[in-house]
Amino acid sequence: MEMEKQIIIALGREFGSGGHEAAEELAKKYGIPFLDHKLLENISDEKNVDIMELQKYDEKPRNPFLTRTVAGYTNSLEETVAKLQFDYIRELAEQGKSFVIVGRCGEYILRKHPAMVSIFVLGNTATKCRRIMEKYNLSEEEALRMMKRKDATRKNYHNYYCDGKWGDSRNYDLCINSSNLGVEGVAGIIDDLIRRREGLK
Amino acid sequence: MMPQILAVSIFVVMFILIVTDKIERHLVSMGCGILMLIVVFGICLHSGSTIWEIINLKEIATSAFWYAKGEGESASAGINWATIIFIAGMMVMVEGMGRAGFFRWLCLQIAKTVKYRAIPILISFMVISFVLSMFIDSITVILFLAAVTVELGELLKFSPVPVILAEVFCANLGGSATMCGDPPNIIIGTSLGYSFADFVANTGVIAFISFFVTLFYFYMCFRKQLKQKEGDGNEKNYPKPASAIQSKKDFTVSCVIFALAVVLLVTHAMTGLTVATIGTSIAIITLLTAGKEAGVLLKKVDYKTLLFFTGLFMVVGGLEKTGILELIASAIEGIAGNDAKLMIAIILWISAIASAFVDNIPFAATMIPVIRSLAAASGIDLRVLAWTLALGTDIGGSATPIGASANVVGIAIAAQNGHMIGWGKYCKYLVAITIVVLLIGMGVIYVRYM
Repeated sequence: MEMEKQIIIALGREFGSGGHEAAEELAKKYGIPFLDHKLLENISDEKNVDIMELQKYDEKPRNPFLTRTVAGYTNSLEETVAKLQFDYIRELAEQGKSFVIVGRCGEYILRKHPAMVSIFVLGNTATKCRRIMEKYNLSEEEALRMMKRKDATRKNYHNYYCDGKWGDSRNYDLCINSSNLGVEGVAGIIDDLIRRREGLK
Repeated sequence: MMPQILAVSIFVVMFILIVTDKIERHLVSMGCGILMLIVVFGICLHSGSTIWEIINLKEIATSAFWYAKGEGESASAGINWATIIFIAGMMVMVEGMGRAGFFRWLCLQIAKTVKYRAIPILISFMVISFVLSMFIDSITVILFLAAVTVELGELLKFSPVPVILAEVFCANLGGSATMCGDPPNIIIGTSLGYSFADFVANTGVIAFISFFVTLFYFYMCFRKQLKQKEGDGNEKNYPKPASAIQSKKDFTVSCVIFALAVVLLVTHAMTGLTVATIGTSIAIITLLTAGKEAGVLLKKVDYKTLLFFTGLFMVVGGLEKTGILELIASAIEGIAGNDAKLMIAIILWISAIASAFVDNIPFAATMIPVIRSLAAASGIDLRVLAWTLALGTDIGGSATPIGASANVVGIAIAAQNGHMIGWGKYCKYLVAITIVVLLIGMGVIYVRYM
């Protein structure tokens, strides 16, 4: 499918919901860049630094007791990495480029951009847990623990930088439960939304 | 009892809100300051006169506020307008210097002078950081130094992290050497009536001795990380110092104003001009010479910091007026008894440890009335306690990434360019030298004054 107009898909997701995979599928389908944690690769290339240095602080909330802000400057590395990414995606959007961005408060950072479609993918605990167990080869207990930890981190990260709450349907164009639809179903619904929005068949 | 409980509660809430950083600190301190005046002195004590004493506007109308031969101690508890006016004046001057390209020119000129070699850059940038911070706020010094260090690091292929860490420490150390180097010193100096020369002759001596130890320490720490990178690159590709200067006229004017500020500060005990007069004069001269740019310079003044100070003085003034700080002084006296050495050790290490984790400005402002009471009760020379407090608050802040403004700014500039300095990396190098410098300070105080 050829995307003539600029399209930006900002997708938030619960851990194990398959939202990441659905976003990747859509990026492939439209032939547009897919930005997840690999976004840091572009930033580290630009700044000529080791990506591992930046990855440690990706999508993590700021620790209020170990950080301070002075005259707009902060020693929170999590916040600096987040802002580097926010600036990067803002710049891409301003250049008129199409892309799919997973997480990183994309729906909030680009909320005023007319080309942005915001999606949140959630899922039932049992289905998400099964997917995590398969993907990471974990026991049910380990998978549940990992899911809780990851979702809590994402929620804290999101809610620190954004006015709206993570996963609150009022902040997204569409919220989808992936449990009964699967990854392809989720991607199909988003595709349908974009086609209708763009007046495509 | 109720006013005391309320005053302490407001102070504790203010401290917690400043530490948690959720609400901007100027809003916190002003909110708590106003609350202190209305609730404690208005509603509980029905003392309108105390509110006016804390607001302290009458101080500005006195001639001693502007001209005081020999310097007099500010007896009133409340807003220290001399500190606020001086800091505001210096902010205007520094903004003018930044716009004229002074700091960037200086950094590039020194890098060129040392032939763009990494280790000489480390040493010379430590020297600039130390010297500039004696007269200019450390945030500005680090803002420019760290930015140029990152730029040179990219060109010369060395990691800017070691150099930035050393610059940050030297900025805090340089700030401790003079009365105007670090906000706690300005507050101590104006509250207790000490001059620029007093600071140089006391904390300055300790800072200078410590600086040579610091140079050696950072050289030993970083020589291997920086050594193999020396001499890389082609000098023609490096940024030219002259490129930093936008207008030669502005540059010359800013250099002259800076030199004038230094002269006025160094000689203020002799001329009788107070820091308030110096700050006001420097600001007026900067604005007059800036022409059309004057409005821009005024807009750039960090009003939030000035409001933060104002609110802070109101809260601390409230604590002092309710007698809380005397209780703290009695507690310290109770522990130390008449043992001056123990009292100095307590003040030095408590100030240092507290300043490593919380803002040193509210801490210093709170401790001034405490040391005044301690000196009066125990007979120990107030000056010795003042130098101890200044050293503890100025140097202790270097130990952690959140201890001082320079640390936060240095880390932020490095991180924005992809060079991450976490707690581990920071403390690995700076905790040890902080302790060493504090020990040197304690040793000098014991030998010289005991």
